[in-house]
Amino acid sequence: MKWQKLKFYMTTIWAITIKDIKIFFRYPINAIFRIVEPIMWITPVYFLAKSFQIGGENIGFKLFSGTSDYMAFLIIGSIIASFVSAILWGMGFSLKNEMDSGVLESNWLTPVPLLVQMIGRSIFSVIITLINSLIVAFLVWLIFGFEIGNGIVSAVITLFPMLIALYGIGFGIASLVLITNNANNVIDITNYLLNSISGNRFPVEILPRVILAVSLALPLTYGFDSVRGILLETNTLLPLYQEQLILVLFMFVGTAIGYFILNKVEKYCKTIGNIGHY
Amino acid sequence: MSHYAIEVQDLKKEFAIKKKNVSFWKRRKENKSFVAVNDISFNVNKGEIFGFLGPNGAGKTTTIKMISTLLRPTCGKILINGLDVQKNSMEILKNLGTVLAGERSIYWKLTGRENLKYFAAMNGITGKKAKEKIDYLLKRFSLDKRADETVEKYSTGMKQRIALAKALVADPPIVILDEPTSGLDPQSARNLREIILEFKEEGRTILLTTHYMEEADQLSDRIAIIDHGEIIALDTPKNLKRSLNKSNTITFELNRWNDVIEKELQQIKSIENINSYFDENNRKWEVKVQINNGNETINNLITTITNSNIKINNFKFEEPTLEDVFINLTGKSLRE
Ligand SMILES: Nc1ncnc2c1ncn2[C@@H]1O[C@H](COP(=O)(O)OP(=O)(O)OP(=O)(O)O)[C@@H](O)[C@H]1O
Ligand SMILES: [Mg+2]
Repeated sequence: MKWQKLKFYMTTIWAITIKDIKIFFRYPINAIFRIVEPIMWITPVYFLAKSFQIGGENIGFKLFSGTSDYMAFLIIGSIIASFVSAILWGMGFSLKNEMDSGVLESNWLTPVPLLVQMIGRSIFSVIITLINSLIVAFLVWLIFGFEIGNGIVSAVITLFPMLIALYGIGFGIASLVLITNNANNVIDITNYLLNSISGNRFPVEILPRVILAVSLALPLTYGFDSVRGILLETNTLLPLYQEQLILVLFMFVGTAIGYFILNKVEKYCKTIGNIGHY
Repeated sequence: MSHYAIEVQDLKKEFAIKKKNVSFWKRRKENKSFVAVNDISFNVNKGEIFGFLGPNGAGKTTTIKMISTLLRPTCGKILINGLDVQKNSMEILKNLGTVLAGERSIYWKLTGRENLKYFAAMNGITGKKAKEKIDYLLKRFSLDKRADETVEKYSTGMKQRIALAKALVADPPIVILDEPTSGLDPQSARNLREIILEFKEEGRTILLTTHYMEEADQLSDRIAIIDHGEIIALDTPKNLKRSLNKSNTITFELNRWNDVIEKELQQIKSIENINSYFDENNRKWEVKVQINNGNETINNLITTITNSNIKINNFKFEEPTLEDVFINLTGKSLRE
């Protein structure tokens, strides 16, 4: 019985992904933009980094981080950050879209729990992000080259619980767009908070004390930090194993919080009746 | 197992209305609430077509959304096949095929076939079984020729049919339709009504809302008339009309008329009232006769008239309509 249910949920997640892919490519301009987008934002940052370098090394940067390869530091930060955005932005936006176009109700009328529907919706946006990231990483490596320690596998393992946690929280936050009129605000604010404060483009040590405290309370900070520690051998805030432990804990807490918010939002929407037109 | 498909007990829905009175100095927030559905109860028998008839804003959609789990009732209880909607929503959704009003319930960027495939999978139907089901539905709803065009290119009638096919994809025993024919041209509306009758023949239970009284009358086994969130009458269309105690009216167009015949007609027992009027322009008599026992009198009436050598040019038989019932109950017209 349990197994059948799981199989059913996998079927629906697959169906949602296929549907998202089809719709994605029926807006060709949008599709092209989403794929080349990361190349567009990485370019100016690269030249910025380049301009601060002295003799090929970024001295000031090295004092804080322990590596002078700002480019690699940045790329890793950006890849993680784009996963965060994909989960928040992609899902929140697609939810809002479906709500505005009226198909959200049709989905809520299927015998599939909302959580499973949310997982389904996030799959495709993560796939796109993965493709984005690989393209960027590859291009940058091809043109400028940077060295990565051979810790790819342990970096991925370290990141895994964090991504799960982000999913959890992401579902909750994405669902918040259903109860505000402005999806973009919710997404922008949370995205900014999560990414910037936890240091996707700079070592958090340079933050003012108060903000640093907030930053250290965000598990995402340890995600950025530990992965850089592994790949670039930067100095980490805490010993690596402690950061990894935090991320695992975060996985449980994060999914629980996300699930909690999602349920609340669903109840709220069904109480005020805002997801359909009336 | 309950022998009712749907049971609704003391159902109520209150919406909060946030009214912000913003002045420069103080901001007062008044929280008012609006009762959209007020304590309604009714049961839908298995296999019947149950019509929900009411004017705009009566609370029809709100009720339907509560039944189909999209809205949480403020209080009251809904059972579907004996199961509580609040507690078993996923189980219940497997048994419900709901089509909400409006044409936006499917993906416009997907083709008709892709839509059905998606919603079939969302109900756990995949592979060969899904394909057969989808082919069947596309054919049945005359969409097979354009199944591979995106829905945005469909006409309103086609969009409505694909939405209907979507609701039927999991073969639900209960079908809920919110204003199924609104916005359709007469021909498409007629086709759709035929489809709804077919659903019934297949043994499904149908709950539909409408504000077209003819539609409710023609389709429903029983009708609940709803106004301002309350059910003000519930019966078969026949009984509702009979309850009016209104007689039928027959209007004759005759070439002549006089008091003698009128007296003679008055002898017929079930004739209540006779009104005659000479139409100057068309040079003919219009005579309205009210009878109270239906069809038996008609024969008698016509014989009497023709025996007096009067020629009947035309005649019209009028029964009371649900519109009359509604006016009688609320003092206003359904169309207002
Ligand atoms: N989510 C909501 N929030 C606040 N008020 C609502 C909401 N949904 C419906 N209402 C109000 O409740 C009342 C009943 O609405 P409902 O949509 O159920 O009417 P209806 O009988 O379906 O009418 P129509 O024929 O226009 O579809 C209306 O006055 C409507 O404005
Ligand atoms: Mg309505």
